[in-house]
Amino acid sequence: MKRKSDWSAYVFILPGFCFFCFAIMIPLVMGINIAFTDWNGITDTYTYIGLKNFTDALQDQRIRQPILNTLYFALLGTAGNTMVSLGLALLVNQKLGKIASAAKMIFFIPVCFSAVLTAFLWKFIYRDVFGQLFHIKNLLGNAALVILAIVIMGLWNSCGINMLVYLSGLKNIPGDLYEAARIDGAGAFKSFRYITLPLLMPSFTVCVTISMTSWLKEFATTMCSTGGGPYGSSRTVSLYIYENLYDYSKAGYGQAVSMLFVIFLVVLGNLVSAFFRAREVEA
Amino acid sequence: MREKRIVNVFQILFLLLVMFVFLFPSYIALLTSWKTRIEVSRSALSFPETFAIQNYIEAIRKSQFLTALKNSCAITFPSVLLIVICSSMGGYSIARHSAKHKIFKYLDRLYVSSLMIPFQILMIPVYRMYKSLRLLNTLQGMVLMLTGVSIAYATFLYVGFVKSIPRELEEAALIDGCGPYKAFFVIVFPMLKPITTTVAALHVMWLWNDFNISLVLMQKESVRPLTVKQYYFFGQYASDYGMAFAAAILTMLPVVIFFMAAQKYLVEGISGGAVKG
Repeated sequence: MKRKSDWSAYVFILPGFCFFCFAIMIPLVMGINIAFTDWNGITDTYTYIGLKNFTDALQDQRIRQPILNTLYFALLGTAGNTMVSLGLALLVNQKLGKIASAAKMIFFIPVCFSAVLTAFLWKFIYRDVFGQLFHIKNLLGNAALVILAIVIMGLWNSCGINMLVYLSGLKNIPGDLYEAARIDGAGAFKSFRYITLPLLMPSFTVCVTISMTSWLKEFATTMCSTGGGPYGSSRTVSLYIYENLYDYSKAGYGQAVSMLFVIFLVVLGNLVSAFFRAREVEA
Repeated sequence: MREKRIVNVFQILFLLLVMFVFLFPSYIALLTSWKTRIEVSRSALSFPETFAIQNYIEAIRKSQFLTALKNSCAITFPSVLLIVICSSMGGYSIARHSAKHKIFKYLDRLYVSSLMIPFQILMIPVYRMYKSLRLLNTLQGMVLMLTGVSIAYATFLYVGFVKSIPRELEEAALIDGCGPYKAFFVIVFPMLKPITTTVAALHVMWLWNDFNISLVLMQKESVRPLTVKQYYFFGQYASDYGMAFAAAILTMLPVVIFFMAAQKYLVEGISGGAVKG
Protein backbone atom coordinates (compact mmCIF):
# COMPACT_ATOMS: atom_id res chain seq x y z
CA MET A 1 0.00 0.00 0.00
CA LYS A 2 2.78 2.40 0.86
CA ARG A 3 3.87 4.78 -1.84
CA LYS A 4 7.40 4.26 -3.05
CA SER A 5 8.64 7.75 -2.36
CA ASP A 6 6.69 10.23 -0.32
CA TRP A 7 8.36 13.60 -0.34
CA SER A 8 5.48 15.41 1.34
CA ALA A 9 7.17 15.51 4.75
CA TYR A 10 10.09 17.41 3.23
CA VAL A 11 7.84 19.65 1.15
CA PHE A 12 5.97 20.69 4.28
CA ILE A 13 9.22 21.60 6.00
CA LEU A 14 10.69 23.51 3.08
CA PRO A 15 8.96 26.94 3.00
CA GLY A 16 9.48 27.56 6.72
CA PHE A 17 13.04 26.31 6.55
CA CYS A 18 13.83 28.66 3.65
CA PHE A 19 12.59 31.66 5.60
CA PHE A 20 14.54 30.46 8.63
CA CYS A 21 17.76 30.14 6.63
CA PHE A 22 17.27 33.51 4.99
CA ALA A 23 16.73 35.37 8.26
CA ILE A 24 18.89 33.41 10.71
CA MET A 25 21.28 30.85 9.25
CA ILE A 26 22.78 32.94 6.44
CA PRO A 27 23.33 36.05 8.61
CA LEU A 28 24.76 33.80 11.33
CA VAL A 29 27.31 32.30 8.93
CA MET A 30 28.13 35.76 7.58
CA GLY A 31 28.58 36.83 11.19
CA ILE A 32 30.97 33.98 11.94
CA ASN A 33 33.02 35.10 8.96
CA ILE A 34 33.12 38.66 10.28
CA ALA A 35 34.26 37.42 13.71
CA PHE A 36 37.61 36.38 12.21
CA THR A 37 38.27 39.80 10.65
CA ASP A 38 39.19 43.28 11.79
CA TRP A 39 36.19 44.79 10.00
CA ASN A 40 35.18 48.16 11.43
CA GLY A 41 31.55 48.01 10.32
CA ILE A 42 31.78 50.79 7.73
CA THR A 43 34.34 50.18 5.00
CA ASP A 44 34.01 47.54 2.31
CA THR A 45 37.40 45.94 2.94
CA TYR A 46 38.72 43.95 5.86
CA THR A 47 41.51 41.50 6.57
CA TYR A 48 41.41 38.15 8.28
CA ILE A 49 43.24 38.14 11.61
CA GLY A 50 42.60 34.57 12.72
CA LEU A 51 41.68 33.94 16.32
CA LYS A 52 42.91 37.29 17.60
CA ASN A 53 39.40 38.62 18.34
CA PHE A 54 38.62 35.55 20.42
CA THR A 55 41.83 35.65 22.47
CA ASP A 56 41.25 39.40 22.97
CA ALA A 57 37.74 38.71 24.22
CA LEU A 58 38.99 36.24 26.81
CA GLN A 59 41.49 38.79 28.15
CA ASP A 60 39.26 41.86 27.88
CA GLN A 61 38.97 43.62 31.24
CA ARG A 62 36.04 45.77 30.17
CA ILE A 63 33.84 42.78 29.45
CA ARG A 64 33.86 41.65 33.08
CA GLN A 65 31.33 44.21 34.29
CA PRO A 66 28.80 43.47 31.49
CA ILE A 67 29.08 39.74 32.18
CA LEU A 68 28.42 40.22 35.89
CA ASN A 69 25.55 42.59 35.11
CA THR A 70 24.03 40.11 32.68
CA LEU A 71 24.19 37.28 35.22
CA TYR A 72 22.65 39.55 37.84
CA PHE A 73 19.88 40.52 35.39
CA ALA A 74 19.22 36.85 34.63
CA LEU A 75 19.19 35.80 38.28
CA LEU A 76 16.98 38.62 39.46
CA GLY A 77 14.74 38.53 36.39
CA THR A 78 14.20 34.78 36.37
CA ALA A 79 13.61 34.54 40.12
CA GLY A 80 11.30 37.55 40.01
CA ASN A 81 9.46 36.30 36.98
CA THR A 82 8.90 32.85 38.46
CA MET A 83 7.66 34.17 41.78
CA VAL A 84 5.47 36.94 40.41
CA SER A 85 3.96 34.90 37.56
CA LEU A 86 3.30 31.88 39.76
CA GLY A 87 1.94 34.13 42.48
CA LEU A 88 -0.41 35.85 40.04
CA ALA A 89 -1.51 32.49 38.64
CA LEU A 90 -2.24 31.09 42.11
CA LEU A 91 -4.15 34.25 42.97
CA VAL A 92 -6.24 34.19 39.81
CA ASN A 93 -6.83 30.46 40.18
CA GLN A 94 -8.68 30.90 43.49
CA LYS A 95 -12.41 30.64 43.01
CA LEU A 96 -13.13 34.34 43.30
CA GLY A 97 -15.62 34.65 40.46
CA LYS A 98 -15.77 37.51 37.97
CA ILE A 99 -13.01 39.52 39.58
CA ALA A 100 -10.48 36.79 38.79
CA SER A 101 -11.13 36.96 35.05
CA ALA A 102 -10.93 40.74 35.17
CA ALA A 103 -7.61 40.41 36.99
CA LYS A 104 -6.30 37.98 34.39
CA MET A 105 -6.99 40.57 31.72
CA ILE A 106 -5.41 43.40 33.67
CA PHE A 107 -2.23 41.40 34.33
CA PHE A 108 -1.97 40.65 30.63
CA ILE A 109 -2.48 44.18 29.26
CA PRO A 110 1.15 45.30 29.91
CA VAL A 111 2.32 42.45 27.66
CA CYS A 112 0.84 44.42 24.75
CA PHE A 113 3.22 47.33 25.44
CA SER A 114 6.39 47.59 23.38
CA ALA A 115 9.79 47.90 25.08
CA VAL A 116 10.14 51.47 23.82
CA LEU A 117 6.90 52.48 25.43
CA THR A 118 7.56 50.53 28.64
CA ALA A 119 10.90 52.25 29.07
CA PHE A 120 9.50 55.70 28.31
CA LEU A 121 6.58 55.21 30.69
CA TRP A 122 8.66 53.86 33.58
CA LYS A 123 11.30 56.54 33.17
CA PHE A 124 8.57 59.06 33.76
CA ILE A 125 7.23 57.05 36.73
CA TYR A 126 10.63 56.63 38.38
CA ARG A 127 11.56 60.26 37.94
CA ASP A 128 8.38 62.28 38.35
CA VAL A 129 5.78 60.05 39.96
CA PHE A 130 7.92 58.26 42.55
CA GLY A 131 9.78 61.46 43.22
CA GLN A 132 6.52 63.16 44.05
CA LEU A 133 4.97 60.23 45.93
CA PHE A 134 7.84 58.92 48.02
CA HIS A 135 10.39 61.72 47.66
CA ILE A 136 13.06 59.31 46.45
CA LYS A 137 15.68 60.00 43.82
CA ASN A 138 15.38 58.37 40.40
CA LEU A 139 16.27 54.69 40.80
CA LEU A 140 17.60 54.61 37.25
CA GLY A 141 20.36 57.01 38.28
CA ASN A 142 21.45 54.84 41.21
CA ALA A 143 24.30 52.52 40.22
CA ALA A 144 23.43 49.96 42.91
CA LEU A 145 19.70 49.75 42.19
CA VAL A 146 19.45 50.42 38.46
CA ILE A 147 19.32 46.73 37.52
CA LEU A 148 16.57 46.07 40.04
CA ALA A 149 14.66 49.05 38.63
CA ILE A 150 14.93 47.75 35.07
CA VAL A 151 13.94 44.24 36.17
CA ILE A 152 10.78 45.69 37.74
CA MET A 153 9.89 47.30 34.40
CA GLY A 154 10.55 44.04 32.63
CA LEU A 155 8.44 42.05 35.07
CA TRP A 156 5.53 44.40 34.60
CA ASN A 157 5.95 43.99 30.86
CA SER A 158 6.30 40.19 30.72
CA CYS A 159 4.72 38.43 33.69
CA GLY A 160 1.25 38.27 32.15
CA ILE A 161 2.26 35.71 29.60
CA ASN A 162 4.01 33.38 32.04
CA MET A 163 1.07 33.73 34.38
CA LEU A 164 -1.09 32.20 31.65
CA VAL A 165 1.31 29.28 31.26
CA TYR A 166 1.30 28.58 35.01
CA LEU A 167 -2.44 29.02 35.13
CA SER A 168 -2.99 26.39 32.48
CA GLY A 169 -0.62 24.08 34.35
CA LEU A 170 -2.65 24.60 37.53
CA LYS A 171 -5.91 23.90 35.68
CA ASN A 172 -4.49 20.57 34.47
CA ILE A 173 -3.89 19.27 38.01
CA PRO A 174 -6.80 16.96 38.89
CA GLY A 175 -8.87 18.29 41.79
CA ASP A 176 -9.26 14.91 43.48
CA LEU A 177 -5.54 14.89 44.32
CA TYR A 178 -6.08 17.88 46.61
CA GLU A 179 -9.20 16.23 48.00
CA ALA A 180 -7.24 13.06 48.84
CA ALA A 181 -4.45 15.10 50.42
CA ARG A 182 -6.96 17.01 52.53
CA ILE A 183 -8.53 13.78 53.78
CA ASP A 184 -5.07 12.49 54.64
CA GLY A 185 -4.60 15.59 56.74
CA ALA A 186 -2.21 17.60 54.59
CA GLY A 187 -2.33 21.36 55.08
CA ALA A 188 -2.31 24.01 52.37
CA PHE A 189 1.47 24.28 52.41
CA LYS A 190 2.05 20.51 52.21
CA SER A 191 -0.34 20.02 49.33
CA PHE A 192 1.33 22.93 47.52
CA ARG A 193 4.77 21.45 48.11
CA TYR A 194 3.93 17.83 47.26
CA ILE A 195 1.17 18.17 44.65
CA THR A 196 1.24 21.57 42.98
CA LEU A 197 4.99 22.03 42.60
CA PRO A 198 5.86 18.60 41.11
CA LEU A 199 2.89 18.61 38.74
CA LEU A 200 3.72 22.12 37.57
CA MET A 201 7.18 21.06 36.36
CA PRO A 202 6.29 21.25 32.63
CA SER A 203 5.23 24.86 33.14
CA PHE A 204 8.48 25.57 35.00
CA THR A 205 10.48 24.07 32.14
CA VAL A 206 8.89 26.43 29.64
CA CYS A 207 8.78 29.57 31.77
CA VAL A 208 12.18 29.35 33.45
CA THR A 209 14.00 28.50 30.22
CA ILE A 210 12.30 31.21 28.21
CA SER A 211 12.48 33.94 30.83
CA MET A 212 16.10 33.13 31.69
CA THR A 213 17.32 33.25 28.11
CA SER A 214 15.36 36.40 27.40
CA TRP A 215 16.90 38.09 30.46
CA LEU A 216 20.36 36.97 29.39
CA LYS A 217 19.71 38.66 26.05
CA GLU A 218 18.34 41.80 27.74
CA PHE A 219 18.68 44.70 25.34
CA ALA A 220 15.71 46.81 24.29
CA THR A 221 14.37 47.89 27.69
CA THR A 222 17.83 48.73 29.00
CA MET A 223 18.81 50.46 25.78
CA CYS A 224 15.71 52.65 25.84
CA SER A 225 15.77 53.43 29.55
CA THR A 226 19.39 53.94 30.61
CA GLY A 227 21.54 53.09 27.61
CA GLY A 228 23.72 51.04 30.01
CA GLY A 229 24.32 53.79 32.53
CA PRO A 230 25.01 55.18 35.02
CA TYR A 231 28.72 54.52 34.44
CA GLY A 232 28.06 51.17 32.79
CA SER A 233 26.32 49.76 35.85
CA SER A 234 23.44 48.38 33.78
CA ARG A 235 25.43 47.56 30.65
CA THR A 236 24.66 44.02 29.52
CA VAL A 237 26.64 41.78 27.19
CA SER A 238 24.12 42.48 24.42
CA LEU A 239 24.63 46.20 24.86
CA TYR A 240 28.39 45.77 24.92
CA ILE A 241 28.23 43.91 21.61
CA TYR A 242 26.02 46.61 20.14
CA GLU A 243 28.42 49.33 21.30
CA ASN A 244 31.36 47.56 19.71
CA LEU A 245 29.49 47.41 16.44
CA TYR A 246 28.14 50.94 16.35
CA ASP A 247 30.15 53.14 18.70
CA TYR A 248 33.70 51.77 18.79
CA SER A 249 33.78 50.62 15.12
CA LYS A 250 35.03 47.19 16.18
CA ALA A 251 32.46 45.08 14.34
CA GLY A 252 34.82 42.11 14.05
CA TYR A 253 35.58 42.09 17.75
CA GLY A 254 31.92 42.60 18.69
CA GLN A 255 30.93 39.75 16.43
CA ALA A 256 33.52 37.47 18.10
CA VAL A 257 32.14 38.32 21.54
CA SER A 258 28.65 37.62 20.30
CA MET A 259 29.69 34.20 18.98
CA LEU A 260 31.09 33.20 22.38
CA PHE A 261 27.94 34.60 23.96
CA VAL A 262 25.64 32.54 21.72
CA ILE A 263 27.50 29.34 22.54
CA PHE A 264 27.14 30.13 26.24
CA LEU A 265 23.40 30.84 25.83
CA VAL A 266 22.66 27.67 23.89
CA VAL A 267 24.57 25.44 26.33
CA LEU A 268 23.01 27.06 29.40
CA GLY A 269 19.50 27.02 27.90
CA ASN A 270 19.74 23.33 27.09
CA LEU A 271 21.13 22.48 30.54
CA VAL A 272 18.38 24.32 32.37
CA SER A 273 15.65 22.85 30.21
CA ALA A 274 17.09 19.33 30.68
CA PHE A 275 17.25 19.91 34.45
CA PHE A 276 13.51 20.67 34.63
CA ARG A 277 12.51 18.06 32.02
CA ALA A 278 14.10 15.35 34.20
CA ARG A 279 11.88 16.40 37.08
CA GLU A 280 8.60 16.29 35.20
CA VAL A 281 6.13 13.70 36.47
CA GLU A 282 2.91 12.32 35.04
CA ALA A 283 -0.27 13.25 36.87
CA MET B 1 -17.50 28.56 57.24
CA ARG B 2 -17.02 32.07 58.51
CA GLU B 3 -13.27 31.58 58.61
CA LYS B 4 -13.37 30.72 54.93
CA ARG B 5 -15.29 33.88 54.14
CA ILE B 6 -12.69 35.99 55.92
CA VAL B 7 -9.94 34.32 53.94
CA ASN B 8 -11.89 35.05 50.78
CA VAL B 9 -12.29 38.73 51.59
CA PHE B 10 -8.61 38.97 52.36
CA GLN B 11 -7.75 37.30 49.06
CA ILE B 12 -10.00 39.66 47.11
CA LEU B 13 -8.50 42.70 48.81
CA PHE B 14 -5.03 41.47 48.03
CA LEU B 15 -5.99 40.76 44.43
CA LEU B 16 -7.42 44.27 44.09
CA LEU B 17 -4.18 45.70 45.42
CA VAL B 18 -2.08 43.75 42.91
CA MET B 19 -4.45 44.76 40.11
CA PHE B 20 -4.03 48.39 41.13
CA VAL B 21 -0.22 48.05 41.03
CA PHE B 22 -0.34 46.54 37.55
CA LEU B 23 -2.79 49.10 36.25
CA PHE B 24 -1.02 52.09 37.74
CA PRO B 25 1.53 52.74 34.94
CA SER B 26 -1.14 52.56 32.24
CA TYR B 27 -3.31 54.87 34.31
CA ILE B 28 -0.43 57.37 34.53
CA ALA B 29 0.07 57.22 30.76
CA LEU B 30 -3.61 57.82 30.12
CA LEU B 31 -3.77 60.62 32.68
CA THR B 32 -0.70 62.41 31.38
CA SER B 33 -1.88 62.23 27.79
CA TRP B 34 -4.79 64.54 28.68
CA LYS B 35 -2.72 67.16 30.48
CA THR B 36 -1.12 70.31 29.16
CA ARG B 37 2.60 70.87 29.46
CA ILE B 38 2.21 73.20 32.44
CA GLU B 39 -0.04 70.77 34.29
CA VAL B 40 2.47 67.97 33.86
CA SER B 41 5.34 70.04 35.19
CA ARG B 42 3.29 71.17 38.16
CA SER B 43 2.35 67.67 39.34
CA ALA B 44 2.73 64.20 37.86
CA LEU B 45 -0.30 62.83 39.68
CA SER B 46 -2.92 65.56 39.47
CA PHE B 47 -6.06 65.10 37.47
CA PRO B 48 -6.21 67.10 34.21
CA GLU B 49 -8.17 70.34 34.64
CA THR B 50 -9.35 70.51 31.08
CA PHE B 51 -9.03 67.50 28.84
CA ALA B 52 -6.34 68.59 26.44
CA ILE B 53 -7.60 67.01 23.24
CA GLN B 54 -5.02 69.05 21.29
CA ASN B 55 -2.34 66.62 22.56
CA TYR B 56 -3.92 63.92 20.45
CA ILE B 57 -4.48 66.15 17.43
CA GLU B 58 -0.88 67.35 17.58
CA ALA B 59 0.41 63.82 18.06
CA ILE B 60 -1.47 62.52 15.01
CA ARG B 61 -0.24 65.42 12.88
CA LYS B 62 3.38 65.59 14.05
CA SER B 63 4.06 61.86 14.09
CA GLN B 64 2.37 61.24 10.74
CA PHE B 65 0.32 58.68 12.59
CA LEU B 66 -1.74 57.45 9.65
CA THR B 67 1.27 56.67 7.44
CA ALA B 68 2.95 54.79 10.26
CA LEU B 69 -0.28 52.92 11.04
CA LYS B 70 -0.57 51.88 7.41
CA ASN B 71 3.07 50.67 7.43
CA SER B 72 2.58 48.69 10.62
CA CYS B 73 -0.46 46.96 9.11
CA ALA B 74 1.31 46.27 5.81
CA ILE B 75 4.19 44.67 7.72
CA THR B 76 2.33 42.78 10.42
CA PHE B 77 -0.56 41.04 8.66
CA PRO B 78 1.20 39.49 5.63
CA SER B 79 3.98 38.26 7.95
CA VAL B 80 1.52 36.61 10.29
CA LEU B 81 -0.22 34.90 7.37
CA LEU B 82 3.10 33.52 6.10
CA ILE B 83 4.13 32.45 9.59
CA VAL B 84 0.90 30.52 10.12
CA ILE B 85 1.08 28.71 6.77
CA CYS B 86 4.79 27.83 6.90
CA SER B 87 5.04 26.85 10.54
CA SER B 88 1.81 24.82 10.64
CA MET B 89 3.12 22.67 7.78
CA GLY B 90 6.60 22.47 9.26
CA GLY B 91 5.37 21.77 12.78
CA TYR B 92 3.07 19.03 11.51
CA SER B 93 5.89 17.38 9.60
CA ILE B 94 8.33 17.54 12.52
CA ALA B 95 5.80 16.23 15.02
CA ARG B 96 4.84 13.26 12.85
CA HIS B 97 8.31 12.22 11.65
CA SER B 98 10.81 13.19 14.35
CA ALA B 99 10.49 9.80 16.05
CA LYS B 100 11.53 7.86 12.93
CA HIS B 101 13.72 10.21 10.95
CA LYS B 102 16.72 11.77 12.64
CA ILE B 103 16.76 14.74 10.29
CA PHE B 104 13.43 16.06 11.60
CA LYS B 105 14.61 15.65 15.16
CA TYR B 106 17.76 17.66 14.42
CA LEU B 107 15.71 20.34 12.71
CA ASP B 108 13.53 20.57 15.81
CA ARG B 109 16.67 20.95 17.94
CA LEU B 110 18.02 23.58 15.56
CA TYR B 111 14.81 25.60 15.77
CA VAL B 112 14.73 25.44 19.56
CA SER B 113 18.41 26.38 19.88
CA SER B 114 17.94 29.31 17.52
CA LEU B 115 15.43 30.80 19.95
CA MET B 116 18.38 31.81 22.11
CA ILE B 117 20.10 33.88 19.43
CA PRO B 118 19.76 37.58 20.17
CA PHE B 119 18.96 39.70 17.15
CA GLN B 120 21.82 42.12 17.84
CA ILE B 121 24.19 39.41 16.61
CA LEU B 122 22.45 39.26 13.25
CA MET B 123 22.04 43.02 12.91
CA ILE B 124 25.19 43.83 10.97
CA PRO B 125 25.12 40.82 8.60
CA VAL B 126 21.42 41.38 7.92
CA TYR B 127 22.07 45.03 7.16
CA ARG B 128 24.85 44.11 4.73
CA MET B 129 22.72 41.45 3.10
CA TYR B 130 19.73 43.77 2.68
CA LYS B 131 21.88 46.53 1.26
CA SER B 132 23.27 44.29 -1.45
CA LEU B 133 19.86 42.75 -2.22
CA ARG B 134 18.29 46.25 -2.35
CA LEU B 135 15.73 45.24 0.23
CA LEU B 136 16.45 48.07 2.69
CA ASN B 137 13.48 50.36 3.30
CA THR B 138 11.03 48.05 1.59
CA LEU B 139 7.94 46.67 3.23
CA GLN B 140 8.44 43.33 1.42
CA GLY B 141 11.96 42.99 2.84
CA MET B 142 10.62 43.65 6.29
CA VAL B 143 7.94 40.97 5.86
CA LEU B 144 10.59 38.44 4.78
CA MET B 145 12.77 39.17 7.81
CA LEU B 146 9.96 39.15 10.38
CA THR B 147 8.63 35.88 9.00
CA GLY B 148 12.08 34.34 9.07
CA VAL B 149 12.85 35.24 12.66
CA SER B 150 9.43 34.05 13.84
CA ILE B 151 9.35 30.65 12.14
CA ALA B 152 11.32 28.82 14.84
CA TYR B 153 9.08 29.69 17.78
CA ALA B 154 5.82 29.31 15.84
CA THR B 155 6.93 25.87 14.60
CA PHE B 156 7.87 24.92 18.17
CA LEU B 157 4.33 25.77 19.30
CA TYR B 158 2.78 23.77 16.44
CA VAL B 159 4.99 20.72 17.15
CA GLY B 160 3.72 20.60 20.72
CA PHE B 161 0.11 20.83 19.65
CA VAL B 162 0.26 18.32 16.78
CA LYS B 163 1.78 15.74 19.12
CA SER B 164 -1.34 15.98 21.27
CA ILE B 165 -3.82 15.24 18.47
CA PRO B 166 -4.42 11.62 17.38
CA ARG B 167 -3.12 10.31 14.05
CA GLU B 168 -6.14 8.10 13.29
CA LEU B 169 -8.11 10.62 11.24
CA GLU B 170 -5.32 11.48 8.81
CA GLU B 171 -4.21 7.86 8.58
CA ALA B 172 -7.76 6.84 7.71
CA ALA B 173 -7.82 9.53 5.04
CA LEU B 174 -4.48 8.39 3.63
CA ILE B 175 -5.70 4.79 3.44
CA ASP B 176 -8.83 5.98 1.64
CA GLY B 177 -6.56 7.33 -1.08
CA CYS B 178 -6.40 10.96 -0.03
CA GLY B 179 -3.05 12.57 -0.91
CA PRO B 180 -0.82 13.83 1.90
CA TYR B 181 -1.28 17.49 0.92
CA LYS B 182 -5.04 17.24 0.78
CA ALA B 183 -5.02 15.31 4.07
CA PHE B 184 -3.11 18.13 5.73
CA PHE B 185 -5.15 21.05 4.44
CA VAL B 186 -8.58 19.42 4.61
CA ILE B 187 -8.29 17.29 7.74
CA VAL B 188 -5.32 18.31 9.91
CA PHE B 189 -5.26 22.09 9.46
CA PRO B 190 -8.85 22.60 10.70
CA MET B 191 -7.98 20.57 13.80
CA LEU B 192 -5.09 22.95 14.50
CA LYS B 193 -7.46 25.90 14.85
CA PRO B 194 -6.83 26.54 18.57
CA ILE B 195 -3.07 26.77 18.20
CA THR B 196 -3.38 28.67 14.93
CA THR B 197 -5.40 31.39 16.62
CA THR B 198 -2.82 31.58 19.39
CA VAL B 199 0.14 31.74 17.04
CA ALA B 200 -1.61 34.40 14.99
CA ALA B 201 -2.65 36.44 18.01
CA LEU B 202 0.78 36.29 19.67
CA HIS B 203 2.59 37.25 16.50
CA VAL B 204 0.24 40.10 15.66
CA MET B 205 1.15 41.48 19.05
CA TRP B 206 4.89 40.84 18.83
CA LEU B 207 5.41 41.97 15.25
CA TRP B 208 3.31 45.06 15.85
CA ASN B 209 5.66 45.89 18.75
CA ASP B 210 8.88 44.90 17.01
CA PHE B 211 11.58 47.51 17.50
CA ASN B 212 15.05 46.07 16.83
CA ILE B 213 14.49 44.86 13.30
CA SER B 214 12.58 47.87 12.00
CA LEU B 215 15.15 50.17 13.58
CA VAL B 216 17.88 48.61 11.45
CA LEU B 217 16.00 47.96 8.22
CA MET B 218 13.56 50.84 7.96
CA GLN B 219 15.63 53.97 7.76
CA LYS B 220 13.37 56.08 5.56
CA GLU B 221 10.69 58.20 7.12
CA SER B 222 8.02 57.02 4.67
CA VAL B 223 8.25 53.31 5.53
CA ARG B 224 8.69 53.46 9.31
CA PRO B 225 6.18 51.53 11.38
CA LEU B 226 4.62 52.89 14.58
CA THR B 227 7.24 51.69 17.10
CA VAL B 228 10.23 53.24 15.37
CA LYS B 229 8.28 56.40 14.65
CA GLN B 230 7.50 56.54 18.33
CA TYR B 231 11.15 56.07 19.34
CA TYR B 232 12.25 59.10 17.33
CA PHE B 233 9.16 61.00 18.33
CA PHE B 234 9.94 60.48 22.04
CA GLY B 235 13.49 61.65 21.43
CA GLN B 236 12.33 64.74 19.59
CA TYR B 237 9.53 65.81 21.95
CA ALA B 238 10.95 64.43 25.21
CA SER B 239 9.89 67.49 27.16
CA ASP B 240 6.30 67.50 25.93
CA TYR B 241 5.06 64.56 27.99
CA GLY B 242 1.38 65.20 27.28
CA MET B 243 1.77 64.85 23.54
CA ALA B 244 4.28 61.99 23.78
CA PHE B 245 1.90 59.97 25.90
CA ALA B 246 -0.98 60.81 23.58
CA ALA B 247 1.07 59.31 20.75
CA ALA B 248 1.85 56.29 22.92
CA ILE B 249 -1.82 55.72 23.73
CA LEU B 250 -2.73 55.96 20.06
CA THR B 251 -0.12 53.32 19.20
CA MET B 252 -1.24 50.98 21.96
CA LEU B 253 -4.94 51.30 21.27
CA PRO B 254 -5.08 48.92 18.29
CA VAL B 255 -3.08 46.24 20.16
CA VAL B 256 -5.14 46.47 23.32
CA ILE B 257 -8.40 46.34 21.35
CA PHE B 258 -7.06 43.40 19.40
CA PHE B 259 -6.06 41.69 22.63
CA MET B 260 -9.50 42.17 24.16
CA ALA B 261 -11.01 40.51 21.10
CA ALA B 262 -8.48 37.66 20.88
CA GLN B 263 -8.12 37.16 24.64
CA LYS B 264 -9.94 33.84 24.78
CA TYR B 265 -7.78 32.26 22.05
CA LEU B 266 -4.55 33.56 23.52
CA VAL B 267 -5.32 32.04 26.88
CA GLU B 268 -6.51 28.72 25.47
CA GLY B 269 -3.66 28.33 23.05
CA ILE B 270 -0.88 29.21 25.45
CA SER B 271 -2.29 26.55 27.75
CA GLY B 272 -2.59 23.96 24.98
CA GLY B 273 0.53 24.53 22.95
CA ALA B 274 3.32 26.04 24.93
CA VAL B 275 3.24 23.74 27.92
CA LYS B 276 2.91 20.41 26.17
CA GLY B 277 5.74 21.37 23.82
